[in-house]
Amino acid sequence: MSDKNVPLSDNALKVAKRIGSLRDFLEFLKENNQCINWSEEVYPEPDIRNVAVAAGRDSMNGPAVIFDNIAGYPGKKMVLGVHGSFTNIALLLGHPKGTTIKELFYDIISRWGADKPLLDFIEQDKAPVNENRLTNNFNLYELLPLYRINEYDGGFYIGKANVVSRDPRDPDNFGKQNVGIYRIQVQAPGEFTLLSVPAHDMGRHIMAAEQEGVPLRISVMLGNHPAMCMFAATPIGYDESEFAYASQMMGSPMRLTKSGNGMDILADSEMVIEAELMNGVRSLEGPFGEFPGSYSGVRKIPRFKVTAISHRNDPIFENIYIGRGWTEHDTLIGLNTSAPIYAALIKDFPEVVAVNALYQHGLTGIISVKNRFAGFAKSVAMRALGTPHGTMYLKNLIMVDDDVDPFDLNEVMWALSTRTRAEDTIVIPNMPMIPIDPAAEVAGKGHRLIIDATSFMPPDKLGGDSKIVTPPAGPEIDAIAKVIQLLQNGGKS
Amino acid sequence: MSTCPRCQAEENKIRTEHKGLNAKGELVWTIFNCESCAFTWRDSEPASTIDYNLREEFFRVDPEKPYPVIMPPAQYK
Repeated sequence: MSDKNVPLSDNALKVAKRIGSLRDFLEFLKENNQCINWSEEVYPEPDIRNVAVAAGRDSMNGPAVIFDNIAGYPGKKMVLGVHGSFTNIALLLGHPKGTTIKELFYDIISRWGADKPLLDFIEQDKAPVNENRLTNNFNLYELLPLYRINEYDGGFYIGKANVVSRDPRDPDNFGKQNVGIYRIQVQAPGEFTLLSVPAHDMGRHIMAAEQEGVPLRISVMLGNHPAMCMFAATPIGYDESEFAYASQMMGSPMRLTKSGNGMDILADSEMVIEAELMNGVRSLEGPFGEFPGSYSGVRKIPRFKVTAISHRNDPIFENIYIGRGWTEHDTLIGLNTSAPIYAALIKDFPEVVAVNALYQHGLTGIISVKNRFAGFAKSVAMRALGTPHGTMYLKNLIMVDDDVDPFDLNEVMWALSTRTRAEDTIVIPNMPMIPIDPAAEVAGKGHRLIIDATSFMPPDKLGGDSKIVTPPAGPEIDAIAKVIQLLQNGGKS
Repeated sequence: MSTCPRCQAEENKIRTEHKGLNAKGELVWTIFNCESCAFTWRDSEPASTIDYNLREEFFRVDPEKPYPVIMPPAQYK
């Protein structure tokens, strides 16, 4: 654990202090014209899907959308796209509209690595999430405005829940308590399936509970602090706490309380569903339109039974549109996928400048690095494949020089056009691969591709005759670009 | 609702899960679940999702087929 002192700007601290819950963040987004109400009546299908996809087209500036008139769900509210654009993430981190993805990456990097918890513990009876409590007659179809996210999904999914579980072999260990986002398909009014695999922390908890024959209790948090969602989806170490990371990244304490079944939960979440694993039971689940943009098939997966539900008055159901990109999923986890890969590489290779793993959870990554000697970028690429996330996800890697912004695809394409020799590509066959990669040879195994698009250097004899044009660059030009943007928008950012 | 839109299971396998009402208490839609193939649907959905003949064949499910099991419980015994 590190108590690295994170240098946050005054504005970042001001925003962090103000935002303690989803509700606070929606209000803040509204003030910045980044949240709209869709008050015309919508049917659960296909209307919600249609609006979600249209709102998600603008990955830089798209708004969150609150639905408050859903047919068959009078009085219920649902929100999509809370993390649907980089501007929404910028606002959360205390930046103005117009902040670039590269600027956000460096901000997250500067906050990375500190996991000393900043946590306030609230008495159960004082926690807003406990304003209402149900202990029997559960009906998730009634409580939540559920709907089919993509047209051939096997059912109605909860796609953005933050699920808390404890290691059944070490239940008192706070760090090993996991918070993760797993897809949940409602299977009955009081039962659901949850997809995890052995590589996930949650998968380890399920296997341990079934091996030991002990109960596995979980708390499913819905409608959460926006930083919690970002970290629940972040690949951090098994014994590192997502609560700690989220609080340190915001520089402000997270308010926790205890769930009825012994988990630490956010005191200000909209709803918490307490549930217990049905040991040994596997139910048909799927298909589900997943982040690679294709449906993952039907499988038999673990099933849970609801044991209690707590919720705020008039809870807001937060969900996500996921499918063929760009979707909220990509914005939600893109920067937090890039950061840990960068943090791992920089330990051995300080020449690494930036990592862009925004695409499909890092199935394609672009790494900017200053070559120390000829072929150096290829060694860095190999190291990236060995990082925890890289092991399963980094399928295609493009290596570019330190003068290329990996977040600017025009620059990346320039590097590919001018600095790549066909023999500078490497294919590594039969590597591990996430099972839902549609291009895998067999589910769970696939090939890796490294394209070295960095420039030549001695002892390489090529490229000695070409001199690069160096247009003006740096903070001064960045500032001018922002002035131009401001002038174009009539003085408004 | 006679059969499941995904696996054509008979009516006795179809469970009524929930009825959605409007503010006046009138029925708007009904949610069903198939106990054979675990498909859940709402009767107000587009026909391309809930009509067996209009659904893409690729997405049909045969409950008797041995679908992959995630973390098979038997492996611990």
